[in-house]
Amino acid sequence: MSLIAYSSIFVLALFGAPIFAVMAAFALTAFYFSGTELSAVAVEVYRLASAPTILTIPLFTFAGYVLAESKAPVRLLRLCNAFLGWMPGGVAIVCLFVCAFFTAFTGASGVTIIALGGLLYPILIQEGFSEKFSLGLITTCGSLGLLFPPSLPIILYGIIAKVDIDDLFLAGLFPGIILMVILGAWSMYQSRNNPKKKHEFSAKEMIGSLWEARFELPLPVFVLGGIYGGFVTATEASALSAFYVLIINCFVTKDISPVKDLPKVIVESLTLVGAILLILCCALGMTNYLVDEEIPMKILEAMRTLITNKWLFLLVLNIFLLIVGCLMDIFSAIIVVVPLIIPIAEQFGVNPLHLAIVFLTNLEIGYITPPVGINLFISSFRFNRPVLELYRAAVPFLLLMIVALLIITYIPWFTLFWFNS
Amino acid sequence: MKAVVIFDDILERFSRYGLISSLFGILGLAVMAIVFRWMGQSPMWIDPLVRHLVFLSAFFGGSLATSKNVHIKVDLLTKLVEKSSSKIVHWLHRNIVALFCFIVCLALVKSGWDFYLVEKEFGAPAFLEIHSAYLVGIIPFGMALITLRFLNQLILGIFGGDPREPHRL
Repeated sequence: MSLIAYSSIFVLALFGAPIFAVMAAFALTAFYFSGTELSAVAVEVYRLASAPTILTIPLFTFAGYVLAESKAPVRLLRLCNAFLGWMPGGVAIVCLFVCAFFTAFTGASGVTIIALGGLLYPILIQEGFSEKFSLGLITTCGSLGLLFPPSLPIILYGIIAKVDIDDLFLAGLFPGIILMVILGAWSMYQSRNNPKKKHEFSAKEMIGSLWEARFELPLPVFVLGGIYGGFVTATEASALSAFYVLIINCFVTKDISPVKDLPKVIVESLTLVGAILLILCCALGMTNYLVDEEIPMKILEAMRTLITNKWLFLLVLNIFLLIVGCLMDIFSAIIVVVPLIIPIAEQFGVNPLHLAIVFLTNLEIGYITPPVGINLFISSFRFNRPVLELYRAAVPFLLLMIVALLIITYIPWFTLFWFNS
Repeated sequence: MKAVVIFDDILERFSRYGLISSLFGILGLAVMAIVFRWMGQSPMWIDPLVRHLVFLSAFFGGSLATSKNVHIKVDLLTKLVEKSSSKIVHWLHRNIVALFCFIVCLALVKSGWDFYLVEKEFGAPAFLEIHSAYLVGIIPFGMALITLRFLNQLILGIFGGDPREPHRL
């Protein structure tokens, strides 16, 4: 009987039932068959209200959406162009920086491609980059800043895995830079035969763009400087960022009308947050059941016969997570998979921070992995191109990201640098 | 069907206003907490109140995600259904998923209600003298809101065409 129930839930999940309902159904069924009161599920759901860092999710997401809706993308584009546009690969490098900044704030929810794609794509084409390269670059950049603070997946990972979010923010810095350096080098290589003339370096334009972006520039300082300077906690940084972005864009630059635009931005951003938090609520019941039943330990016992050391475990984990990343969205994957792999990784001696960054890098790659990487579909929709064209455009970037993943996985120093010293 | 559409529209507006009010409440209180801390004071009630507002906003957001059909899904085999030209396949797929979600949410309402009753009997005032039962009551209230959205979807799906088509007044 229980097998039929679980199978039905699994089939419904594959046919597009919302993840939160699938997890709740799983938890309700499990508690029912184990003879536990069903109110136990509600008790687990209520645990969300006591998660100390829960506040960061709506506030950072809201700040990111306000930025995306304002003229901040145009200002930041001008700034990056003035500072980096003269380099070989110029505008492609600019694309990497602007997208990384935005994705860090919007949580790789597709907003980056929607908000910046229309701005960046014509510029890339105009600067002589091929259509294939430009589409692939923007599709990849849609999730590029995922390892940088204050990205939503990092926060969610910290809550689920009970790892300090401040430490996770630090741990992601170098791996995030590695991804950018590799993609930057590829962009430079692609521009080697570019017939277009490089931008002239202009101090005047630099100062002008710096002045124009004066309100956006303090944001990373608020987040990183505030947290690591010991002035504010991650939660307070999220509140200050959201408050600052709201005041600046509604009353100083007046990019967003408090009456016309603001309600729309709030509803859009918090609808996404609501969908994520609902999954988180329902997953608490399910993961608690899995842990109680010692499912991770049973998996570990089965694995021990085949996997004998940490490095082999990490290789298998990468393959597993790449598959997970191209089948599930990042938020569901974090909530479902993290509680299962943490105890196993611990047994193999993998540092929790290293595991977190390897996990998130895999899922970042999952965004552009065919057949169901979500960025491929968002780009296909945004640029009105067949998804197969996007598959072809994304392949070189996918391979480069896998190289970066191997570096991040097998040289833990990049992740743990801040903690070793 | 018009009554269902009107009722769903009322729930939509309620969720929207609830979400907007929650966000301003969360932001205002979170900033206030920082200012208080800088002034050397830390009222103990702000943090739990903010966390419960976030908790409440999850249900308002969930209600809106239901009406916009933007819940996070795996969608692995949905593409197969979408490729099918048969209207019956689409109709069955849409309504089976909505029925499943309705049943699960209803069970969560029951689960939350039972928890509320337990808290009402054995709970105690939490912060600002608010009884813990009312805080726990967010679960049955929020889940009931989402349950009603799925019920409307189901009714409109069975009797009034595709509920995912815009039907706002």
